Amino acid sequence: MSCTTVRFHRDLYQRAAIEEAAALFAEFARFGVGRDGEHFVVTVNGIDAEVEGDVVAEFCNFALANSANALRGLD
Amino acid sequence: MDQLQIESIDPVASTVTFSLDHELYPRDALYAAAYVFLDRAYVLLDRAGDRYLVHLRAKQALPEAELRAFGGELANELLAQTLRHRVVKANQSLIEQITALAITGAVGARSRAGEIAGDTSSDVGSSEETAAAEFLDDPLGLGTPWQDKKDPV
Repeated sequence: MSCTTVRFHRDLYQRAAIEEAAALFAEFARFGVGRDGEHFVVTVNGIDAEVEGDVVAEFCNFALANSANALRGLD
Repeated sequence: MDQLQIESIDPVASTVTFSLDHELYPRDALYAAAYVFLDRAYVLLDRAGDRYLVHLRAKQALPEAELRAFGGELANELLAQTLRHRVVKANQSLIEQITALAITGAVGARSRAGEIAGDTSSDVGSSEETAAAEFLDDPLGLGTPWQDKKDPV
């Protein structure tokens, strides 16, 4: 089974924002969030093969949008 | 070094990576500029030393020229958002004063309405009752049925 790893720089992404995005996409894949130096490391497993589009890339967009909104105080 | 430069470009995968000096633009501006691309591209931000990296992958296949054009658009957006950020920061106290005045004015208007209705008590329940009573007032007779107006008994 394929496993993808995404690294989010801690200066630019908030853990809560990443976890919120992971929760949103939980029905399409399994997400694990860890830390490695200056980055949060997200492992994505078991991506639903029937889902159209790129789950990991969409997840990244949501993580960015959540981080931006959190910084602006929109959440 | 250029303000914004292309680090890599791959037309086959429709990906392009830009880098920019992290001191040149505030982080807010970077977020806002990246946000603009979310409907057309997958965006991943990163940082390498003193430079921010912006990875973009177009959602639809694009020729190299359009991928390069993302750079110009990103630079424009960064500039616009930085200016907006500065204007807001420079006028922060003025914005807060105007907002406070607007809120105070709204509260004052409601208090005056209560006084006009003959209710000068300040508890919340009374002011809500006053508001409900005002709602039932019909000084212009708009609630009177047309037939009653035409044929008064």
